[in-house]
Amino acid sequence: MSLAHEFTYERPKTVDEVLLLKRQFGSKAFILAGGTDLIVNIKEGMLTPDLLIDIKEVAELKKLSLNGEMLFIGASISFDELIDRSEVQSYFPMLHDACKTVASHGVRTRATVIGNICSAVPSLDSAPALLCHDAIVHCASFDAKRDIPIREWFLAPRKTALQDIEIVTGISIPKVPESAGIYVKLGRYGGEDLAQAGWGIMLSRDLQYRIAHCALGPVPKRAAKIEALLDGNELSDSLIAEAIKLIPEEISPITDIRSSKEYRTHVSGVMLKRGLYAARDRLHGKKVDAAKLLGGIA
Amino acid sequence: MKDYKYIGTDVTRIDALEKISGAAIYGDDIDFGANLLHAELVQSTMAHAIIKSIDISEALKVKGVYKIFTGKDFPYKFGLYMKDRYIFAQDKVRFVGEQIAAVIAFSPGAAKRAAELVKVEYEALPAVLDQMEALKDDTALLHPELADYPHVPWFFPKPGTNIAHWRKTRKGDLDKGFSEADFILEDTYQVPRYAHCAIETHVAVGKFDHSGRLTVWSSSQSPHTQRHLFAEALGLSHKDVRVIAPHVGGGFGGKAGVTMEIIPAALATKLKGYAVKLRYSREQEFINTYQRLGVVAKIKMGVKKDGTITALDHKIYWDAGAYVEYGANVVNAVGLSAIGPYRIHNVSIDSVCVYTNLPPGGAYRGFGYSEMLFGLESHITRIANELGLDQIEFRRKNAIKAGDLTAYGAKMNPNGLIECIDKVQQAIEWGKKPSSNDPTKVIGQGFSLFWKAPAMPPNASSSAFLKFNEDATINLIISGMDIGQGYQTVMAQIAAEILSVPPGKIRVETPDTDRNPYEWQTVASHITWSSGNAVKKAALDAREQILSLINRVYHYPIDELYLEDEAVKCQTDPAFLLPLKNFVVDGIMTRDGTFKGGPINARGMFMPEFSSTNGDPETSQGGHPNVHYTVGAAALNLEIDRETGKMRVLKAALAIDAGKALNPDLVRGQITGGLLQGLATVLYEDMRYNDKGKLLNPNFTDYKIPTSMDVPDEIIPIIVEVPQPDGPFGARGIGEHTMLPAAPMIANAVEDALGIRIKEMPITAEKVALAVLNKDKQ
Amino acid sequence: MKELILKVNNELRSVYVESNEILLDVLREKLGIKSPKCGCERGDCGACTVLLDGKAVRSCLVLAVEAEGHSITTVEGISAEKLSALQESFIQFNSFQCGYCAPGIILAVTELLEKHPKPSLEEIKESIAGNLCRCTGYTPIFDAIMDLTKGDK
Repeated sequence: MSLAHEFTYERPKTVDEVLLLKRQFGSKAFILAGGTDLIVNIKEGMLTPDLLIDIKEVAELKKLSLNGEMLFIGASISFDELIDRSEVQSYFPMLHDACKTVASHGVRTRATVIGNICSAVPSLDSAPALLCHDAIVHCASFDAKRDIPIREWFLAPRKTALQDIEIVTGISIPKVPESAGIYVKLGRYGGEDLAQAGWGIMLSRDLQYRIAHCALGPVPKRAAKIEALLDGNELSDSLIAEAIKLIPEEISPITDIRSSKEYRTHVSGVMLKRGLYAARDRLHGKKVDAAKLLGGIA
Repeated sequence: MKDYKYIGTDVTRIDALEKISGAAIYGDDIDFGANLLHAELVQSTMAHAIIKSIDISEALKVKGVYKIFTGKDFPYKFGLYMKDRYIFAQDKVRFVGEQIAAVIAFSPGAAKRAAELVKVEYEALPAVLDQMEALKDDTALLHPELADYPHVPWFFPKPGTNIAHWRKTRKGDLDKGFSEADFILEDTYQVPRYAHCAIETHVAVGKFDHSGRLTVWSSSQSPHTQRHLFAEALGLSHKDVRVIAPHVGGGFGGKAGVTMEIIPAALATKLKGYAVKLRYSREQEFINTYQRLGVVAKIKMGVKKDGTITALDHKIYWDAGAYVEYGANVVNAVGLSAIGPYRIHNVSIDSVCVYTNLPPGGAYRGFGYSEMLFGLESHITRIANELGLDQIEFRRKNAIKAGDLTAYGAKMNPNGLIECIDKVQQAIEWGKKPSSNDPTKVIGQGFSLFWKAPAMPPNASSSAFLKFNEDATINLIISGMDIGQGYQTVMAQIAAEILSVPPGKIRVETPDTDRNPYEWQTVASHITWSSGNAVKKAALDAREQILSLINRVYHYPIDELYLEDEAVKCQTDPAFLLPLKNFVVDGIMTRDGTFKGGPINARGMFMPEFSSTNGDPETSQGGHPNVHYTVGAAALNLEIDRETGKMRVLKAALAIDAGKALNPDLVRGQITGGLLQGLATVLYEDMRYNDKGKLLNPNFTDYKIPTSMDVPDEIIPIIVEVPQPDGPFGARGIGEHTMLPAAPMIANAVEDALGIRIKEMPITAEKVALAVLNKDKQ
Repeated sequence: MKELILKVNNELRSVYVESNEILLDVLREKLGIKSPKCGCERGDCGACTVLLDGKAVRSCLVLAVEAEGHSITTVEGISAEKLSALQESFIQFNSFQCGYCAPGIILAVTELLEKHPKPSLEEIKESIAGNLCRCTGYTPIFDAIMDLTKGDK
C-alpha cells in the first residue's frame, strides 16, 4: 500500500544539490535520512511534504570521524554506526549510553542522531549528552553556513533553531578531558520506550560537573544550579541530598499517560544520586551498566 | 501408565516448516488479483451520540473511490450470544471508533483519503464511561430497546437499566456462613481493560460472486461461527456462505466470534464480483475489536480461626462496553466460578454485565478469570496473613477436590490441585526468599492458585474427517484453528497414536467451512479436549474400517488385529504384516482378481451430552454449565527497588494439571508465553481512556507489550497429570490458564516485600514507588 | 511510476513504483514476497524486518525507492536452498507459535550471528528487543539461539 500522501523523491549526491532543492522547496521539502520518524509522520498525516530529499548518498554527510578532541557526526550517520564505534564508547560514554536506549536495533540501523535532534521532542535521548559536551550543530543553506551551539538549538517542543531553507550537515562534539559520564533513562519497562525522564551526568577529575536532562520540561536543558552546587566538591550523600533539593527548580515535568509529574520528580532524585556515583565509578575505571541503574525491569 | 508412541512426546510441530521458512499464508498474504477493492472505515469520534447526518459528497470525489456505504445500507443486527450490534451504526453511535460508514476504493490510499472527507454530524448524548456510574438510576440508558434483543436462554438482561446480564449464583446460607466466621475481610479490587495485541491485526476479505455465493477469508478463531453469523445476519443459506481461515497471527480471544469480519462480508453482498478487503491498522485493532472487560470486584469472605472458609459474597461489576454480544458470556462464566478453586459452602455471587460507552468487551485469554482471580487471590493471601496462617496451608486446606460441589452444585472433576501446590511450593522454595546485597532492593514472594472452565454452550461440538492417501499418509480435516498453541500437531499426534502413522505423515490444513466438518470455535481452551475427542473417534473409525477389511479378506478375528508401524499385524500370526500403503486407497486384491475395500475415509464427532445450562436463574443451581475445570498453582520471587519501584521477576514456577500433556513441550510453551502475557497485564499494560471515551494509547508506543528484555530471569514450568476421564488420552485444555495467576502473585509479592497492598491493576513501578513514599511519610 | 531494479534475495527484480510506496508493501504486493509481515506500520513491532545490506531494518519505514542499489534479504532468501541452522534450531525448540513474528526474528538473529557468532544472552535479547512476539514469552527463542551457538557446535 502506498502512503495516502503523495510527494516526489530525490536522491542527490552532493550537499550543494541538497541545498538547492531546499532553497526551492523550503518547508515543503524534508530531509530523508533514516526516515524512522519522517515516514511515520507522513503516514499519520502529521506532515505533508512535496519533496523528500534522500541524503544517504551524499558522501560529505556520511562522515563519522574523531579528529583529536572532536567527534564529527555527519547527518546520515545512524545510531547503530555510532554504537559500533569503540571510540564513542571510550570517550563519549554518555552519548553511547543514550544511543543504545533509542528505540531498538532494527530502528537504530536507520535512525540518525541528526534526525533525532531535528525532531526536537522533549524526550530526546541524545540531548543530555550533546548538552553536556557543548556540541555544535553545523547548518547550511544554499547561501550560507552557520554553527549553532546545542544550548541554543532547542526552542520549544518539536521546534529548533533551524531555518526552513537550511539543513543540518553534522554535529561536532568536543571531548571533555579526564571525565566520565552516564545517561540514566526512566522508561516503563525493559523494552524500548520514550524517556519519561533522562539525566546525563558527567564529572571530571577536577570535580567539574555537567548535568543535563530531557523529558522533564518543554526542551532538554542543562541543570545549571545543580552544576554550580556540585562544582569543586567531592561527592557525598549530603551534597547529593542538597542537589536533589534543587531538582524542582531545574525541571518542569508534566503528568501525561506515560508518567506523573510526581513520579518524574521523585525518580529524578534517584537518577541524579545513582547517576553521580555511577559517573564517578566510571571515572575510576569501573564498568557500570546504565540500563541497570534504576533496578528491575518494569 | 500406558506406553504411547506419540502421545506425551515432544513431537515436532507439523506446521514448523511452513512457519519457519516464510511459506505460511496468513490472511493478508492471499492475492485476489485485479478485482480487489479496499475498504476503509469512517469511525465515530463520539462516545455516545445521535447521528444527525452523514455527508459523503466530498469523499466520493476522491480519485479511485468506488462506493461508500453507511448504516442505512445494512440495517442488520448481529451477535454471538445476544443480538445487540449492528454492522454499521444506525441512528446512534455508542463508542469512539464505532464504524459508521465504509469507503470502497481501488487502493487503500484512496480509501483512506476519502474516509477522512466523510462528514458526520452528531448530537452528543451523555457518555457513560464507568460501570458503577452506569448502574446509577439517573444515568443515560445505552440500549433502551434491550427488551427486544434476542439472546441465549442463560442470559438475564434487565430492560430499562444498563444491565445486559446478571448472573446470580447462590449456595448454602450466606448469613449463617458469616455468623460462623471468626474473621471477615471485605474489600474492593479493580482491573482496567486490556488489549490482546496479536501481532497480526484483524483482516478479512469478502467476495460475493455472480452466482450469489459469499466467500470470506478471515483471520479467525471461529470460521464456522462466523459462517453462521454471516448467514443469519445477511439472510443467506449456510450452503452459500463459505469461510476460509488461513493461518492466524495470534488470537488470544481477540479473533473469536465475529467483530470486524462482518463488515467486508456485508459489503461484498453489495459489490458483486469484487473481492473487498478490510485490514485493520494497529490503531483500529486497539479501538474497535473486542477488549478485555474492566472490573470492579467487591469481595467479602468469612473464615474460621482454623482457616476454614465459611462464606463468600463476591460481587463483580463488569465494564462490558457498548455491545455485549460476546462479553456477556465472560460475565456469565465468572458468575458461575467466582469461588475460585475452593470448597465453600455458603456462597453468593453477583456477576453483573454493564453497558458502557467504551468499545465492546469480549473474549480474552482467561475469559474473565484473570480479573476475578486478581481480587480473590489477593484476598486469600490477606486473610491468611491477618489470621497468622501460612497462605499456602490456608489454600491447601480449602482447595477444591474431586467430588466437591461447585458454586452451582455440580461435582468437581478429578484434579491435581494439591499436587500443583506442592510442586510449586517446592520449586520456588517457599519461605526461603533470596536476599539482596543492595540495600535499596527488597524481595517478596507471591503465590496464587487458579482455575478455569471452558465457557461454551452445552451443545458446542467438534468434528473430524480423516482420509488416507495412496502412500498411507493422512489428511486430517478439522476446523479448529492453530492460533499458535500447536493444535494441528496435537491432533495429528492423536490420529498418529491410534493409526500408527507418524505425525509427520499427517497433514492438517487450515479450515474451509465448505470442505471441513463443523467445529464450534477455537476458544475456551476446549479444543484439545473437544476436537481431540472427535479426532480420536475419527481415527478409531478408520481403524475399524481397516481391521474389518482385513477380517473380511484374511479372516483373522478383529480382536487379534492391531496397527503398528504403519501396518496391520496379527497377535496370533506373527508372520502377517500388511503395510497400510498397500490397501488404504486401492483396496486388497483377492485370488480371483477382484478388489475388496477402497479408500479409507473416516469421521468423528464429539458433543458433551452431559452439559446443560438449565440452572435456576436466581441461584444457578441445577444445571451443568461447565464441562470441567483445569487447575493449577504458581509462585514467584519478585525483586523490587524501593526507590524507583522497579520490579524484576527473579524466578517463577507454574504448575498446571493438563490431565495428560499430549505434547509436553507445547504445554511448557503455553506456560512461558501465558505467564509473560499475564505479568505484562499487572506490571505495565493497560488501556487508558480520557473523559470523552477516547483511547489515549492505541499503539505500541504507549501500550507496552513485553519484549525480549522483559522476561523473568527463570521460569519453571511444571506439568501435573491427573487424567480428565472424558478427555482424549486424559487431556484437558491449558492454553488460557497460564496467564491467570500472574496478577495476584505480583500483588501478593509486593505486599510481602513492602507491606503495601495494591488493589488496582496495573501495579506499575510508579504506583509502587509512590506508595512506598507515602508509607515512609506516615 | 518509476522502474526500480531491486536486488532481492540475490535476484534482480524489476518493479514499477511511485515514490510514496513503502518497501514492505512493494515486496508483498508487487514482488510476491510475503514473509515480511505488517504488524504496526510504525516501526514498533518488527514483524516487517528485512535485511538491507545485511542489516535489520523496518521495511514499513523504508520507501521502496530508497532500496534501489541495495541488497534486500527476506526469509524466503534464507530458506532458498535449505533451512539455516538457526531455522532448524527454532523448530527444535518451538521458538514460535503463531509464526507471525518468526520471519522478522529469524532475520534479526541472522544479522546478530553474522556479527557475534557466540552471542551472550544479553546480546541475544538486545538483538530482538524490537521484535514483538505475543505468543512464546521469548524464552524458547533464547534457548534455540543459545543451543545453536554453544561451544561444541
